[in-house]
Amino acid sequence: MAVDEEPDTTAKNSAGGENTENKRNESRGEEERAFECNICLDTAKDAVISMCGHLFCWPCLHQWLETRPNRQSCPVCKAAISRDKVIPLYGRGGSKEDPREKLPPRPQGQRTEPENTGAFSNFGFDGGFQMSFGIGAFPFGLFASTFNFGDPVIRAHGTNPANLEDERFLSQLFLWVAILFIFWLLVA
Amino acid sequence: MSSHHSRFTCSPAQKRLQKELVSLIKEPPPGVIIDGESVGQSLDLLVLSINGAQGTIYEGEQFQLQFRFGPKYPFDSPEVVFVGSEIPVHPHVYSNGHICLSILTDDWSPALSIFSVCVSIISMLSSCKEKKRPPDDSMYVKTCSKNPKKTKWWYHDEEV
Repeated sequence: MAVDEEPDTTAKNSAGGENTENKRNESRGEEERAFECNICLDTAKDAVISMCGHLFCWPCLHQWLETRPNRQSCPVCKAAISRDKVIPLYGRGGSKEDPREKLPPRPQGQRTEPENTGAFSNFGFDGGFQMSFGIGAFPFGLFASTFNFGDPVIRAHGTNPANLEDERFLSQLFLWVAILFIFWLLVA
Repeated sequence: MSSHHSRFTCSPAQKRLQKELVSLIKEPPPGVIIDGESVGQSLDLLVLSINGAQGTIYEGEQFQLQFRFGPKYPFDSPEVVFVGSEIPVHPHVYSNGHICLSILTDDWSPALSIFSVCVSIISMLSSCKEKKRPPDDSMYVKTCSKNPKKTKWWYHDEEV
């Protein structure tokens, strides 16, 4: 930085000038650096301090906490840290609002479960089970539904006579389909 | 010296990198040499030289260390590998330059920096007593990803 400010000096002179310049910068810098966020290295904005005493911008710390939601630790000393265990810092100037409230709550990250590595077991159970059940039970399922029919007391919701008529027709249709199916099975 | 950085309008990641680079060029860690001219070229790639510390088995050797920074830096760790013809022979450094060091993956924290990574690597080299490759070197080098961050490292040796 000092080189920029004294571009015309010769190499030897600038080396000397740089030292005094550096010293001035350092003493000024140290004071400012004491209030720098440990993450962005800038003067902390919306500052919060952890129980272990480390200073951060709340947006910076918030992003870090979201990066490792399951292992929240202080970036500086690895002590346990969380949203509720930091203290907002209010200087004389600036907003008196709690920075933790100000930050718009970000949308939750989306997380999907890792794919089941034993893909075969999944298929074998779900798919295979349904498949065999479907074939085996199909005609008997028809019978079951068919023989449940025709009892108006049990099927009380069929109050509309037209509906009842339709259902009766359907039931007979299915009954015949089922009988034909069984017959076909026996013959084949 | 900072003038050639400041013309970038930049993301928080780049802003922090610029700050790091400025102070790194001004005061590099002992044993680290940075070519100030090459630094400004690209903000996401940095190659610097590391000298083996005096009084250690790497004294007199020089290695090139390459940093690559993703857009999520410093929340995400940089990718750090040795590059070039000289790769230190060390139980935690594979012959392709990959380094087995927990702060480069699991134990990374955004409060760490280029500076602290350099110091860790120098200290890792300095504490080594015997030059040898990791036991699984040939296997790992054949099968690993180009990016060491994709390796699931086992950090089992705390001594070296």
